Amino acid sequence: MRYLLWLLIISLMVFICAPLPSLGLEDTAARSTACLDCHDSEMMEPAFRDIPADWKKSWHFQNNVSCHDCHGGDPTDAAMAMSPERGFAGKPEYSGVPEFCGKCHIGILKNYLESGHGKALKASQSGPNCVTCHGSHGIQKANINIIDEKRCSQCHTYERAKAMKQALFATEKKIRDVRDSLRELKAAGVFTEEEEKTIFNTEAEFRTLFHSVDVSLIKDRSDGFVKKLEQIEAREKSVFRELEFRKNFSAFLMLVFIGLGAVIFLLSKT
Amino acid sequence: MTGKIKNWLEIRIGLDELIRTQLTQYMVPRGINIFYTLGIVALAAFISQVVTGFFLLIYYIPDTEHAFGSVQDIMSEVPFGWLFRLMHAVGSNLMVAVVMLHMLSVFFMGSYKKPREMTWISGAFMLLMTLTFCLSGYLLPWSQLSYWATTIVTSIPTAFPYAGEFITRMMRGGETVSGITLNRFFALHVTLLPMLLILFIGIHLFLVRRIGISAPPFDKVAEKKKLWIAFRHEDHPDGHAFYPYFVQKEMYVLMAYFALMFFIISFLPTLFFPEDANTPADQFKTPAHIKPEWYFLAAYQMLKLIPNKLLGVSIQVALTVVFVLWPFFDTKEEENILKRPLLLFVFVLSLITWVGLTIWGQYS
Amino acid sequence: MNRRKFLKSVLFFLGSTALVSFVYPLVRFLEPPGSGAQGGKTIVKRAEIPVGASKDIVVNNTPAIIINVPDKGFIALSKVCTHLGCLVEYDKPGKRLLCPCHAGTFSLTGNVLSGPPPKPLQKYSVKVEGEDIVIG
Repeated sequence: MRYLLWLLIISLMVFICAPLPSLGLEDTAARSTACLDCHDSEMMEPAFRDIPADWKKSWHFQNNVSCHDCHGGDPTDAAMAMSPERGFAGKPEYSGVPEFCGKCHIGILKNYLESGHGKALKASQSGPNCVTCHGSHGIQKANINIIDEKRCSQCHTYERAKAMKQALFATEKKIRDVRDSLRELKAAGVFTEEEEKTIFNTEAEFRTLFHSVDVSLIKDRSDGFVKKLEQIEAREKSVFRELEFRKNFSAFLMLVFIGLGAVIFLLSKT
Repeated sequence: MTGKIKNWLEIRIGLDELIRTQLTQYMVPRGINIFYTLGIVALAAFISQVVTGFFLLIYYIPDTEHAFGSVQDIMSEVPFGWLFRLMHAVGSNLMVAVVMLHMLSVFFMGSYKKPREMTWISGAFMLLMTLTFCLSGYLLPWSQLSYWATTIVTSIPTAFPYAGEFITRMMRGGETVSGITLNRFFALHVTLLPMLLILFIGIHLFLVRRIGISAPPFDKVAEKKKLWIAFRHEDHPDGHAFYPYFVQKEMYVLMAYFALMFFIISFLPTLFFPEDANTPADQFKTPAHIKPEWYFLAAYQMLKLIPNKLLGVSIQVALTVVFVLWPFFDTKEEENILKRPLLLFVFVLSLITWVGLTIWGQYS
Repeated sequence: MNRRKFLKSVLFFLGSTALVSFVYPLVRFLEPPGSGAQGGKTIVKRAEIPVGASKDIVVNNTPAIIINVPDKGFIALSKVCTHLGCLVEYDKPGKRLLCPCHAGTFSLTGNVLSGPPPKPLQKYSVKVEGEDIVIG
C-alpha cells in the first residue's frame, strides 16, 4: 500500500518537472574569440583557412596563447578585432619576426640577436628567423630534433649544427631522465611542484642559450646545468628511498595485524 | 597485582557484577555470525578516524593559502605524518564500506523490525552523517579534486526552485566555493559532526543493549513468533557468552580491518589519490574528468542519467526518506527474508543497480 | 593448556609490537621540529647593497634577490617566477623584475604588473640588525 503511495508521488513529479529545463552537469564549451569567428569559418579565404587548424595543434594552444596574444587586436569585439587602436600588429615582416616573438620570449630574443643567425638577419635581411625552425602557427614544444640536416644545411654545411647538437645531447638526455623520474614520483603521489619548477627553469635557460649558436659557450655552461640536474637527481633518489621505507613499514604493520588476527582466531578454537 | 586492583574496584563499583552481567553471562544468540561484528568494526573505524584526525589537526592549517601546503608538509616534512594522513584517508573509505555492509546485513536479517525501529533510524542517520563527514573532509586538503568535487556536490540543491539557490549559497558561504566554504566545512568536520555522531552512537548502543541482540532469523528456533505488547529484553539463554566467544570474533575481524587498511597503505597508496588530488586548487581551471568518490558515484551517475535535474534530485531525496523510515514501510512481522521472495528480489535488484551505477560512473 | 599459554604469549608479543610500532612514530610526529625544518636564515652585509642596487642570494635552497628599494628599504623576494618557474631578473632602470621566459613583469614589491604569472613573487621577511640584514 505504501509503495503505491510513493509511486504516485514520483509519477506526479514526472509530470510537473518534465517541462522544466534541464540544468544538467554539462561541460562548458571552449569560448571562441572574434578572430576565430571569421578565420575559422567557411567565409575565410583559402590561404588563411589552415591557420586556426595549425594553431589548434600547437603548444601555444595547449597553453592558452591565442591570436591576440601575438597579433594584438581585440578578441571580444569583431569590429575592433583588427584595429591598430587596440594594438593589432598584423603579419610581421621577415626581418621583424624575432622582435614579434620576442615580445614574450625576451631571453631568447637577446641571445638570438647576439648570435651569428641574428646578425645575419639584421645585416642582410636573409638568414634564419624564428619561423624558419619553429614554424609559425603550428609551433611544437622545443626539442633537440629541430636541429636536423635538412633545416640546418640551407645556408651552410651541417657540420656546425652537428657539433652543436652533440654538445647539447648529454644535457638533454639528463633532462629527459630527470623528468621521467619526476613523473614516476608524481604517479606515486609525491608533490613535485618545486622540482618541476627547477627543472623547467634549468631547461628554459639551457634552451635559451642554444639560440646563441656558440658551441664553446654552450660547452662551458653545460657543466653548470648538469650539476644542477644532478642535485635534483640526488633529491629524487632520496625520495624514492623514503617511499620504499614507507612501503616496508606499512607492510610490517599489516603483517603484525594479520598475525594478531590469526593468534586470536586460534585462541578462540582452544 | 591485578587481583588487588580488581578488589579495589569491586568494593567501590561492584566490578564483579558488572563483568558478570555485561560480559561473561551476557548471552548472544546461538547462530550469531561474523556479520554481527560489523557494528563494532564501524565504531573502531570511527575511533581510528578521530585519533588520526586529531593528530592531523595539529599540523593542518585551515586557510586557503596554507591548507594544501600544510598537507604536503604532513606528507613529506613531519616524521611519520604520511602514516597518519594515509590512515585517515584510507580509513575514511573503509569506514564507509563497513558502515554500508553493516546496514546491508541488518537489512538482510530483518533486524530493523519491531521493536528495533529506532535502532535502524539512528543507524540510518549515522550513515548520512558518515557521508557528510566524507564530503566536508574532502574539501580540507584544498586540492583541485577537493575544490571541484565540492563545487559539483554543492550545486545539486540548485535543482530546487526558490529554496535551492539559498541552500547552495548557505552551504558555500557565497556564490562559489571559497575560503569561507573551507572554514565552515572545517568547523563542521572537526566539531559538530563528531559530537553528533558520538551522541547517536550512544543512543544506538543503548538501544542495542537495552532491547537485546536479535537472533539470525534463519534458525528454526527463531520461528517462535512472540507478540510485542510490553517491553522485555530479548534473552538468549541457549546462546554463547559475550565474553569470550563474541569478543574474540570481534577482535579478529578488527585485526582483519586494520590488516586491510595497511595492505592498501603499503601496496596501493595512490588508490584514493588521483593526480588532481595532488594539485593545488585553481578556481580558474576545471580538470577534465572530475568524479566524486566511489560512494557517491551511483548517486552521481543516476543524476546524469535522469534528464531533468529537479526530478533526479527529488527521486534521490525520496529514496533517502524511504531508507531512513524503512521500518515503517515494511511492517510485516516475518524477519526471514528468504521467506519473502518479493522483498528479497527488491533487495538484490537495488544492490545490483547500485553496484552497476557505481561501476558505470567510474568508467564513464 | 600448553598450547593456550603459547598462543597467549605470542599474542602479548605481537600486541606490544603493534603498540610500539604506533608509539614510536607518534613520538617522532609530536617532537618539536629541529632548527633545520624551520628553515635557515640568510645573512647579508648592509654595506654590500647601496640604494637602488640588488644582490642575488639563496634562501632555503631557493634562488632569491634582495633589493634596496629607494624610499622603501630592503625587500627580499624569491626569484622563482610564479608562472612556470623561470628565474626573474632585476630591471633597474625600469624599476621592475622581468621574467625572460614569457615576459612576466613584477613590481619591486613582488606584485604582478603584466604577463602570464598568476600570483605575486614569494616575499621573505627582512630584519636589519646593525650592519647585518637577516632574511628568512
